Formats: sequence, C-alpha cells, structure tokens
Amino acid sequence: MKSIIKLLLASAFVFTLNSCGGVPEEKTADAGEEKAFAVEEVLEMVAKENDVTRTLYTKAIVGKGKKQGMKFDEDWRKDDVEAGPLPALFLRGVATSIRKSPVPLGLYLGSDFPVNAANKFEGKQAELFTQIKEDQKPQFFFDEDQKLHTAMFADLASAGACVSCHNDHPQTSKTDWKLGDVMGATTWQYPKDSLTYKETVAVLNSYAQGTVDIYMEYLDEIEAFKESEKPEIGNKWPAEGNYLPTPEVFLDSVRKLSSYETMKHLVAATK
Amino acid sequence: MFKVSPLRKRQVIGGIIGIVLGVSLFYIFTLDATEDYVSIGPMNTGHEPLNCFACHADAKGNLMQQVQSNFSHAVGAREEGVDFGTQDVTVDNCLQCHDRPNDRHPVYRFSEPRFKDAIQNIDATTCITCHTEHEDERVSVASINYCMNCHQDLVVENDPVDIPHVTLIAKEEWFTCIQCHDFHGNHRYDVPEKMSDTIPMHVIQAYFDGGEDPYGTDKKYIALSQEEWLKTLDK
Repeated sequence: MKSIIKLLLASAFVFTLNSCGGVPEEKTADAGEEKAFAVEEVLEMVAKENDVTRTLYTKAIVGKGKKQGMKFDEDWRKDDVEAGPLPALFLRGVATSIRKSPVPLGLYLGSDFPVNAANKFEGKQAELFTQIKEDQKPQFFFDEDQKLHTAMFADLASAGACVSCHNDHPQTSKTDWKLGDVMGATTWQYPKDSLTYKETVAVLNSYAQGTVDIYMEYLDEIEAFKESEKPEIGNKWPAEGNYLPTPEVFLDSVRKLSSYETMKHLVAATK
Repeated sequence: MFKVSPLRKRQVIGGIIGIVLGVSLFYIFTLDATEDYVSIGPMNTGHEPLNCFACHADAKGNLMQQVQSNFSHAVGAREEGVDFGTQDVTVDNCLQCHDRPNDRHPVYRFSEPRFKDAIQNIDATTCITCHTEHEDERVSVASINYCMNCHQDLVVENDPVDIPHVTLIAKEEWFTCIQCHDFHGNHRYDVPEKMSDTIPMHVIQAYFDGGEDPYGTDKKYIALSQEEWLKTLDK
C-alpha cells in the first residue's frame, strides 16, 4: 500500500512539473530558413561596402574638406578639439555602432606599421597580413579561442589623404607610403559558418547604420563648434565649398557606388 | 480531516512550522526593503542606489517551468538549459548604463585575435575583470601594471614628460601610467608633464578602493542612473 502511495505521489509530482510546460525554447527569427551564403561570401560583401564607404569618406569628406579648411584629428572627440574623425577612427566608430546592434559582427583595423603601436598585428593576424601584402587577396581562418569565423581584407592607400597624413604623422613608424600600398587590413568576425538571406541583409544593414551613426556623431561635434567655422549641412559636398552632406546624402552615395556588387550577390542567392 | 498518529505529532508540527517559516522567509527576502540582506556583498562605488533588478533581471518562465526545462536538459530531452531565478549578468548589462563613445578601451576591441595573449593576462573583454561587483570598491584588479600587456612598444614623439615614456617603459615602471592616464579616458583634466606632479600611488589606490576621484569630477559622459536607465527601456 505504502509503495503505491509513494508511486502515486511521485507520478503526481512529475505530472505537476510537466503540466506547466517548460520555458519555450529560444528560436531564432530565421529558424527553418535556408542558409543562403557562406560566411566568407557575406564578409566579402560587407568588406566591399566598407572599401567604398571609407574611400568616399577619405576622398570626398577628409581630402576635399581639408582643402576647405576643415580639420580632422585623432582627438576629435575631445572638447577642446574642433575636428572630425580621421578615416581609421571613422571605421572604429562604425565598429562600435555594429557592436551595439543585435548583429554579432566584429570589425577591427590593424597594420604592421600603425600610427598607434597598440594597433600592430600580432600572431595569426601578423602571419596572414604578410600574405595579404603580397597578393592583396582576402584571408580566412577560424579563431579557435573565440569560436569565430574570421576574415582579413587588404586596406589600401586609396586616396592622397591616406598617404600624406600617415607619412607626415608625428607618431608614424613609416614615412614612405604611396598610393595603392597595402597600409593595413580590416579583420571581420562572425560566429556562424553560413547565413540566411535575412541574416545577410542584417549584416549589411548594421554596417550601413554604423556609417550613419558615426557620421551623425561627427555632425553633432560640428554643431558644438565654438571657434571654427561650421560647414553648411545639406545636399552639397566639400568639393563645392564649405559644405557637408547630410547622413542620408552620404549613405545614398555609398549605396550608389556599392549597390551593384552587393545586389549581384543577393539576387544570385534568390535564383 | 487529517488524523495524525500521536507518534507522528512532533514531526507534523515541525513540518508545519518549517513550511510557515519557509514561506515567510521567501516573502520577506523578496521584498525591496531586504535587498541588502540578500546581496552577497555591499555594492561598488556609485552603484549604491541600484536595486537588484537593475542587473539581475528575472529569468524567463516561472519557477516550475525553469525546474522542468533544466530537468529536461539534464536528461537530454532539451537542447539548452535555462537561467534559474535570475538571468546571468553580462557585459551588456553594464553597457546599458556605462557605454560611452569616447571610451579609449571599449571591451569589444579586445575580442580581436591579436589580443589573445594579452587577455590571458587580463581579460579586458569583460568589465568584471577589473570591476568585480559587491566588493564595496571601485576597481578590484589585483595589480595596476596592466598597461604592460599591450603598450610595450609605445613611442611618443616630442614626449612632453620630464622622464620620457620610453624610459619609463624600459624601466618597467608600469605603475606610473595610471598616475597620469585614467583607463577609460572619460575625465577632463590636464595631464601633468613632471613626474613629481603626477597623482601619488596611494591616492590612486584609495580611488580604486572607492575614495575620492583624483582625476577630478569633470567628466564628458555620466553613466545613467537607475531612473534614466528605466526610461531607456520604456523607449
């Protein structure tokens, strides 16, 4: 009799426990969706967008802006410095914004001759960068420590402003940079080996949003200028005078320049 | 309704007292007013006004669901276990109030592969390596010479300091970095050019222990208060 009661009590306990149902299992928004791209393809796509964005920023904003008297400085965030972000810091701003988004994408910039010694490549990155300098081809590896798929892409001296600023910088460790040189490499990381169409678009959007965020921070800094002349923000670019484009105009130009390549990949995946 | 054997009377009374006591304690220790007694230690400097929920959000599901889910996970009937009671506190919790665009050492940067060796010495990918909570202090790092992990090759052109950085590094005077430079770079202050004018180590240590801020109180960004943080959640 006692053992029957014990059995009944145990059954009642298990039934009660089970009857409420567990915590619903986490399902990602893309659960069940077909993987459309290998991580390498996606990182190549977003790196291409980065090339276009950085070249546009360096040439059309920094290069032309300097000719209009605009200033760009590594201490641009300091209160007593009235300047905009240098291209490397523009990229860091994009990377920071991406990390705040739900997209698990990592973006870093390094070199073997960085202006800031703390940005010098070491270990696996230094090894792969030697190869990148030779053939300018992307390098991929799996970061075992963090379990992240990692890609490195050449970062070229694509504008005169890259060369002159780095050669003339007081902290530079190399003074003979020239146009077209591999000045460094961007490193990108993502946790999955393949992405759905939706995840891929999210990666591209998070990068685009990152460029808007850092560019808006720059415009906010300009708003707070006390001594320097403030450029007019609108549809015009520094090439036309003391003007800066709005974030929307800037992003539109990036899209015009990069969308063909990106769209080719995205459309191919839907066929 | 229940007939208790005289031989079992003491056990039953004991059981009832236990249940009443247990329920009472559960009720009392889940009140806001008793949070200090539940906490594993006093809050760190600046965090004193926070309630537990600011960092320890309730885990998903009710207690029974959490028990069932973890039981299922333990016997292999479920892929992932679930948080029990409260969710784990992560870097994201800290950044919801402390994220700043001018952070010169943001945690995410140290996820880059080249910091692999450095983070084995000091895991800068997470806040709690230096700011362990419930310790009634500000900085809990064991040794203040952590700059040595990344800045061995630092070269400062036109170095304004009377004892140049290169000399300090050659002599492995890594404790001197913090006497001029605050790690996160949020203070507005003039960096001294003479070593004799730098902040003495005992003052730095007192600051780490929760004392007065030797870099000054003028900061570019101020962390969110609990009320401000709650408003961001409403948005």
